[in-house]
Amino acid sequence: MSLPLPSPRDEAWRWSDLSGLPALAEARPRGGVIDTSGLWLGCGGPRLLFVDGVLDEALSEPGPLGAGAVEVDSDHPLGRLARGAGWTLDLGKGHSPDATIEIVHVATGGASHVPARITLASEAQASIVETFVGDGWANRLTQVDLGDGARLMHAARLRQASGFTSLRIEGQVGTGASLVSTILAAGGAGTRIDAAVKLAAPGAFAEVGGALLARGGQRHDAAVTLRHEAPEGMSRQTWRAVADDHATASLAARVEVARHAQQTDGEQSLRGLLLRRTATVNLKPELEIFADDVKCAHGATVGELDRNALFYLASRGLPPLEAQALLTRAFVADALGRIGEAAVREAFEADADAWLGANP
Amino acid sequence: MLQITDLHAETAGKTILQGLSLQINAGEVHAIMGPNGAGKSTLAYTLGGRPGYEVTAGSATFDGADLLALEPHERAAAGLFLGFQYPVEIPGVSNLQFLRTALNAQKRARGEAELSGGEFIKLARAQANALGLDPEMLKRPVNVGFSGGEKKRAEMVQMGILAPKLAILDETDSGLDIDALRVVGQGINTIMRAPDKAVLLITHYQRLLDYVRPDFVHVLAGGRIVRSGGPELALELEREGYAEVAA
Amino acid sequence: MTTTVDTGVKNREALDAANKKYEWGFSTELETEFAPKGLSEATVRFISAKKEEPEWMLEWRLKAYRRWLEMESPDWAKLDIAPIDYQDAFYYAAPKAKPTLASLDELDPEIRRTYEKLGIPIEEQKVLAGVEGAGLPARKIAVDAVFDSVSVATTFRAELERAGVIFRSISEAVREFPDLVRKWLGKVVPAHDNYFAALNAAVFSDGTFVYVPEGVRCPMELSTYFRINAANTGQFERTLIVADKGAYVSYLEGCTAPQRDENQLHAAVVELVALDDAEIKYSTVQNWYPGDEQGLGGIYNFVTKRALCQGARSKVSWTQVETGSAVTWKYPSCVLNGEDSVGEFYSVAVTNNRQQADTGTKMIHNGRGSRSTIVSKGISAGRSDNTYRGLVRVGPNAENVRNFTQCDSLLLGDQCGAHTVPYIEVRNPTATIEHEATTSKISDDQLFYAQQRGLDRESAVALIVNGFAKEVLQQLPMEFAVEAQKLLGISLEGSVG
Repeated sequence: MSLPLPSPRDEAWRWSDLSGLPALAEARPRGGVIDTSGLWLGCGGPRLLFVDGVLDEALSEPGPLGAGAVEVDSDHPLGRLARGAGWTLDLGKGHSPDATIEIVHVATGGASHVPARITLASEAQASIVETFVGDGWANRLTQVDLGDGARLMHAARLRQASGFTSLRIEGQVGTGASLVSTILAAGGAGTRIDAAVKLAAPGAFAEVGGALLARGGQRHDAAVTLRHEAPEGMSRQTWRAVADDHATASLAARVEVARHAQQTDGEQSLRGLLLRRTATVNLKPELEIFADDVKCAHGATVGELDRNALFYLASRGLPPLEAQALLTRAFVADALGRIGEAAVREAFEADADAWLGANP
Repeated sequence: MLQITDLHAETAGKTILQGLSLQINAGEVHAIMGPNGAGKSTLAYTLGGRPGYEVTAGSATFDGADLLALEPHERAAAGLFLGFQYPVEIPGVSNLQFLRTALNAQKRARGEAELSGGEFIKLARAQANALGLDPEMLKRPVNVGFSGGEKKRAEMVQMGILAPKLAILDETDSGLDIDALRVVGQGINTIMRAPDKAVLLITHYQRLLDYVRPDFVHVLAGGRIVRSGGPELALELEREGYAEVAA
Repeated sequence: MTTTVDTGVKNREALDAANKKYEWGFSTELETEFAPKGLSEATVRFISAKKEEPEWMLEWRLKAYRRWLEMESPDWAKLDIAPIDYQDAFYYAAPKAKPTLASLDELDPEIRRTYEKLGIPIEEQKVLAGVEGAGLPARKIAVDAVFDSVSVATTFRAELERAGVIFRSISEAVREFPDLVRKWLGKVVPAHDNYFAALNAAVFSDGTFVYVPEGVRCPMELSTYFRINAANTGQFERTLIVADKGAYVSYLEGCTAPQRDENQLHAAVVELVALDDAEIKYSTVQNWYPGDEQGLGGIYNFVTKRALCQGARSKVSWTQVETGSAVTWKYPSCVLNGEDSVGEFYSVAVTNNRQQADTGTKMIHNGRGSRSTIVSKGISAGRSDNTYRGLVRVGPNAENVRNFTQCDSLLLGDQCGAHTVPYIEVRNPTATIEHEATTSKISDDQLFYAQQRGLDRESAVALIVNGFAKEVLQQLPMEFAVEAQKLLGISLEGSVG
């Protein structure tokens, strides 16, 4: 069966490389015994383990989470492939799990497509952290619906050693509700992150951001659209892209302001860092504005590490690679600093450090 | 010159002025004092014709003509100058360009001859020097990057250049140190103390009145004038507080 | 085939009323010679024959035409346009007159009157209209007046030639300086570059050729004034400017068209070449008829403008004020091949009523130490859409590249749109790329403040908009800046209720 995939000729995919996906889609997972030690953050809350897209019931503690067929409907070229069995979180008015929900996705080759649906009624709150490890192609679609005043904190760390991870997040944010999603790509796999979030009611807040760390021949690619459909919404996109070797890290962030979405406050900060002359960073901070009383601004920069700072650190005794790692970590910190919970943030920072430390 | 009778005005659906009456004759300096929320700025904006300030009853005439029927720029051309509490920034438009365009628009409306570029620059420099504002500042965009004191000084320079008949100065003293206050006070005296001109000072504190001695002082409370008197009333307010005097 | 041009407008009164807003909307009655309607190889051959072109030129056109047949009209710009029927237009329209004029006195008096009405100095003793009043010193400006498909006059030829500067209509240049034209024509914008560039290469009828020799500073501003007059006619002009080593030239381009209720196509190509230490300053005030308030009529302006900064330390500066056209599709770009070469793009685009503008620039950095600056000011009013689309690309061998981009949008009213689509592609770590964008509106505070000082509402809006666009306007030569400021005000009349 041939896979209908977008090509770089499609404007929204011009910096992507999906050429490895058909082969991964044909391959079979190796399976075998899975060592999950070190994958859990130890939040003590509900947790799910998916191995090659299949729920491992023995190692999961679902709590309020549901597992099984999920009804999702997406026309996104990758997201629509995620159908059938997955997971759900459905919280009633004012409900909130005691601790952070953890979901771990282990892949052993081949392709897995898992849909998820998160529905928070008014004033409900949840924090979810997802971790991706292994190899193969992990493709995920997550649809989020936040009622009035609901809050969802979502974080994903993409740590697959090889293969490809594609995430598609589709969200709808209600009156005064808040959706924050932070994504870190710090593994060896190629990545495509897609998000489309609608700030559908007055006073909604949405933030999607993170850091893409790419080396070797890796390609990381994020394409995020935050759409303001109602007045007084606020949105933030803070992204950092680091590219080494022959890698390419690309960020396309877009703010849309519909007519009547007055008093919108939208901000984008996209920054790229090139560690080597063979690497590439692509940025596209895009605004599409149809209302006149809005405050939308973006900043984008690309460059290398500040040579003065490197010299300063060297003069204090830091070897070049350590100095580079230290400054790169500081560069990435802005984006990861958006994660509210200390335990989750620290885990992400540790991932970034591991990536930087592994830099030859 | 200005005759306000039983003026009622509202903004954002709230009635602020509730039957304010006031007469200002040529050659007079009036001060309106009052606590926060008394309607001081509303009075200034209503007289200036700011959109969003609705007159629901009463009248205001300026040199016998119906002031309230005029557009804001027509009021300016008629000789009314409003000194803003918070002067507005206009990026990219230099003070010189702004004031020359404004002055010539006013002159055109009055059927007077417009000033040439050279004449205007001479006038602007003279006014800036008189008020201790570096004439170079006039080349900078209107109020952009100006400190609070510079903005107020620039307002006085504008007043000097536009040479109005009546100046309504809304909290012109707020945010000024003593030196700036003296300059602003001198500016008002030099530019506006004349038999054919008049001033309405709107202020919360009496300190500006140390430099500009008013002929009349009025206390505004609850949207109307509750007491009027001479300069001594300002001192009394300072001593006793608004609550006491307005009671 | 000869026809007399109809004014194309049925309702005189409506035209007169509308003309108050677009005062360049009149048309001129002239004996005009057309190519057969429609586009075919025969049309291309007809045009080439009319121009008495050498064989290589015809071959080049035919090749472009065949490529064009295989291409598709681009659809990625943020534009909503009806499909264009390429067979329902004339590709060549020329006022009937002697092909070459011994002197300007022989110019058809109707054409002369047209330019006088437009304020364009085609008599050498005059300078641009509207300038005397601004208190500026009179400066000489050489003009190439392009009327529909042909150049009707170039001025100051003798004086320019004394300095060694070649300033010709491109048709003349093809005949008089074939080697020079052949060397550079299509080198910056290849015939197959894009759909409209291919169309232009096939049917371009006239335009301007400028060559400034080594070390020469062109003694006056050069300008071309484009006028579309005939109905149902496209204008496809081609401009080629070559600044040899150490040369400098400043070039101005202005455009207007009569008010007609069908859309007319303008698909121009402009190629600039700057060799070592050369500098070209190219300024445009584009004021094609924008259509009426309901979006009826107006020019489709699909233009490819590109500069090749080939030499070390070469510099090209594009400045544009875009107030006209129903649809604008235009990205004046710089290919910065030379070491330490400099590209600049300063743009003000105003859209009102139903206008659509999709404009911006590409800065392609291949040379070490090349620098670029992009300042884009978009002003949207009415029900219009205004898009900045840009690309900054840094190649792997381009060390120490710098780019600074500032994109500001101003919205007047809540029925219009402002869009910013910047692409940044960097393949060299020594690059420093900065991009900033803001969106704002004219605040009620600003309006009231200006009104309180005596300005009426429209003047206040015009003043504030001019302030917003100042960084760009001050890049224009004085003569044009005065025109442009007035245009901004006129274009936005009635847009703030």
